[in-house]
Amino acid sequence: MPGRPAANLKDDLMTRIANERVVVQLGLLIVALALYASTFAQSFSSSDLAQSPMFFPRIILALWIGLAVISLVQSARADDQAQPIASWLRIGVVLVATLVYVNLIGSEGFFLPSVVFALICLSAFGIRHPLFVPVFAIAVPGTLVLLFNHALGMPLPTSRFTYLF
Amino acid sequence: MLSSLPDAIAILLSFEGLVVLVLGTVLGIILGAMPGIGSTVAVAIVLPFTLTMSQAPAILLLLAVYAGSVYGGSIAAILINTPGTPQSAATCLDGYPMAQRGEAGLALGWATVASVVGGLISAVVLIFAAPQLASVALEFGPIETFALILLGMTCIVSVSTGSVVKGLLAGMIGIFLSTVGGDPILGEMRFTFGNWQLFAGFNLLAVVIGVFALSEVFMRASVHISKVSELVAFNGIVLPSRAMWRGRLRNLSKSVVIGNLIGVLPGTGAATAAFISYAEGRRSSPNRAGFGKGEPDGIVSSEAANNAVTGGALVPTMALGIPGDAITAVMLATLTLHGITPGPKLVEDNPTLIAAIFTGFFIINLLLLPLGMLLSRVAAPILRVREAFMMTAIVILCAVGIYFVRGNPFDLLVMGGAGVVGFLLRRQGVPMAPLVIGMVLGPTLELTLRQGLILTDGNFLAFFTGHPIALVLALAACVALMLPVWRALRARSTA
Amino acid sequence: MKLSTLTSAMFGAAFAASAAVADGFPERPINLIAPFNAGGGTDLLLRGLAPHFAEAIGSDVFVSNMAGGSGTVAASALQGQRPDGYQMAYMSVTVSTIQPQIKNVPYGVDSWTPICSVAASPTMLFVTADSPFQSMEDVVSAVKAEPGKYVYGSSGPGAITHLTMVSAFAGLGIIDDMKHLPFQGSGPAIKELTAGNIQFFGDTEILMKRGDFRPLVVFNSERVEGFPDVPTATEVGIAAPLNELYLWGGLFAPAGLEPDVTAKLEAACEGAVASDGFQEFAANSGTVINYRGAEEFDAFFRAQYESNAALIEAAGL
Repeated sequence: MPGRPAANLKDDLMTRIANERVVVQLGLLIVALALYASTFAQSFSSSDLAQSPMFFPRIILALWIGLAVISLVQSARADDQAQPIASWLRIGVVLVATLVYVNLIGSEGFFLPSVVFALICLSAFGIRHPLFVPVFAIAVPGTLVLLFNHALGMPLPTSRFTYLF
Repeated sequence: MLSSLPDAIAILLSFEGLVVLVLGTVLGIILGAMPGIGSTVAVAIVLPFTLTMSQAPAILLLLAVYAGSVYGGSIAAILINTPGTPQSAATCLDGYPMAQRGEAGLALGWATVASVVGGLISAVVLIFAAPQLASVALEFGPIETFALILLGMTCIVSVSTGSVVKGLLAGMIGIFLSTVGGDPILGEMRFTFGNWQLFAGFNLLAVVIGVFALSEVFMRASVHISKVSELVAFNGIVLPSRAMWRGRLRNLSKSVVIGNLIGVLPGTGAATAAFISYAEGRRSSPNRAGFGKGEPDGIVSSEAANNAVTGGALVPTMALGIPGDAITAVMLATLTLHGITPGPKLVEDNPTLIAAIFTGFFIINLLLLPLGMLLSRVAAPILRVREAFMMTAIVILCAVGIYFVRGNPFDLLVMGGAGVVGFLLRRQGVPMAPLVIGMVLGPTLELTLRQGLILTDGNFLAFFTGHPIALVLALAACVALMLPVWRALRARSTA
Repeated sequence: MKLSTLTSAMFGAAFAASAAVADGFPERPINLIAPFNAGGGTDLLLRGLAPHFAEAIGSDVFVSNMAGGSGTVAASALQGQRPDGYQMAYMSVTVSTIQPQIKNVPYGVDSWTPICSVAASPTMLFVTADSPFQSMEDVVSAVKAEPGKYVYGSSGPGAITHLTMVSAFAGLGIIDDMKHLPFQGSGPAIKELTAGNIQFFGDTEILMKRGDFRPLVVFNSERVEGFPDVPTATEVGIAAPLNELYLWGGLFAPAGLEPDVTAKLEAACEGAVASDGFQEFAANSGTVINYRGAEEFDAFFRAQYESNAALIEAAGL
């Protein structure tokens, strides 16, 4: 980076190494290495190399590792940054709410988690209208439940309280 | 078969025939256009109704819903970057940038015309050349298919927007994900770590919806929302004018041919055709420089090919009694219920039924244009709801869509996980289309490679010495890989 | 005072409810699970049965699909459910007896309350109509003359199509001189049989209606009606337990179902299978009906589980 003061070089190096791109790509590399190592942990019956169940995955994982290394080096040298996050709170709430939501559908049914998810997600996006938000949160999942569970006879998961929703 | 055409048309123009064609197409378009809900769910919804219908209407309803949902999928892909099926993933690449530029109506116009042309030509080909094309399908054994998939894999390079290294990396992740679960030759379990839910592997649709639709929601949640009011400026489909078509017809016809040929080969499918056609467009179109940035030729390549597959897939189905893809398998099973066993004599024994199916397929494709225009006009106000409502609804609809694919709540977790990983990777500039290509083509690549090694007793070189088609396809794959490098070198030397 | 009356009333209600489980059954819709995709053979059979089952039991019945892992995902999921009779899966010979012995799935022979069997067809080995092989003797001498040349196909490792091939070629002692080429599903395998990349394939009688295949042997206790000239496996020299192989399927509920509920479901299944509507459906779709009641099916299932162990051994799975 021409024109930058020399005193910032060290900080610059730190941000380069610790930036999000490097961390995520390092993660990709570690996952691939772990998976590659796991291919030796299992034993398989086939003696023929090409017909071993691990023959093909090992080729792919080796390519993954190689490409991850190249990409990591490129990112660390190019100093490119991911787009800044506007609101950590909003993305954090939406991410966590989605993950919890998809986890709960199997055990708690479709309707109730959907209502709660809609309420949380809408308020995270800054919509707090006292009428629209609850109406939307109940109407959208409610319509889907009426349609699939009761009109079409192909039910979505139901709650522990009743088989009706 | 042509002599039974009058009887066939009488079936189609009956009250039941017309209702089935129009309602089926409308229902298909609506379901396909919902983010997260694709052809699989659309077909599952109408399947119970087909059981009580007579032969021809039952098959036509399935076909109409299927063709409609494939077309509808491109609407969601273009407007909100959420393909409902893997085959619309290639449409996102240029459709969404065009929509962001404010040309959503025109982007849909290109997609509509390309879909209709692709579908209509494949219907004509089906009617006149099914037996000839079916014999082409028989030439494609495991080794030829392996070479074709190898060629398809080179698409990863052409759809890697930004960095080719990152695109290839995403492709490898996609192929790896497809190896989780049962080994295709020996049946032994790989990378399941004792979890029986993984015995079936990662569901392709759950991953596709996760990395495209959910990660899109997260991307929007992570950036500053300035225009909270409108998602995308859209007032209805705008058809491209005649002048706009200048210089694009060659690309269109090439895409239709690619879609037809790939559709004929059982077990390859619409997503493969869309990506190979997109890559070919990017290689040879006069407008190739704009690919990935909202170039109409990109939309045309993908849409013409994925719709032409529908007709292509009917070729082996009707001529040999072998299903060309998942939907034709459902159609054959439905025929069996009605006492008709699919086989090489299917057309000979049931000329009127087959003629009705073929002409019905032609009419369905004709209907896509007016119904698509009408429905998009009706749906335009829905897209004006505030972005927050739309994003919330997308997550809920994706959950519904993925649940019904295999009826398994575990797939929802896969979708959620894929959404988070897709979000993280997209932030680092890793493109998602190559991941989808890897996951679509990976299983066939491994299966045909190992089948070929069984047939040649482990001699990989024999793949190419004894199989001229495979040799040609493999050489084409080498050229496709080398061409960008060669172009870059030439550009450097002339500069 | 008020509270205690309320609690005692609630306890009383709960007690009455548990005692009346069988009397009131069914009080909500019953779910029949197809462990394969919507629109497949198993799914359509179940959808053909469902309306008649609903009529017989007097409650709503819906079919749901839970595909994946050759049917093991649905079976594994059902095995962990409460045995209340509201969930049953249609499982075939492979899902219920083969897969649990070759995969590390959470279910086994004791995980189920078998309700009834619905269908069973003997399998057949066949070649294309223009094949030079007219009998299994031709096949044996050709394979012995050129070991390693001939290829048999299957729709996947452990599938009924694979087991048919194994029964034939292991039963005749020539399996080590042949190659196995698995495909993903029957469609691609049949295509390769037509194209000539594989020479042998096996499935049930229904595929013979295509008209372009010639059966060489049938894995049944006696010759089948439709093909009086096709010898049984015993006739061509295949010894037990590899001489009989049926693609059968029936309804299974999780283990520990109350006997009263089992009896109700069994009666409904019998009524549904015997109904005119289902008989007509079976005739149209080529389904070979084979009804067994709960007790008989349980014994049959356990015997099959045992005898198929030999088949798995021979297949090297």
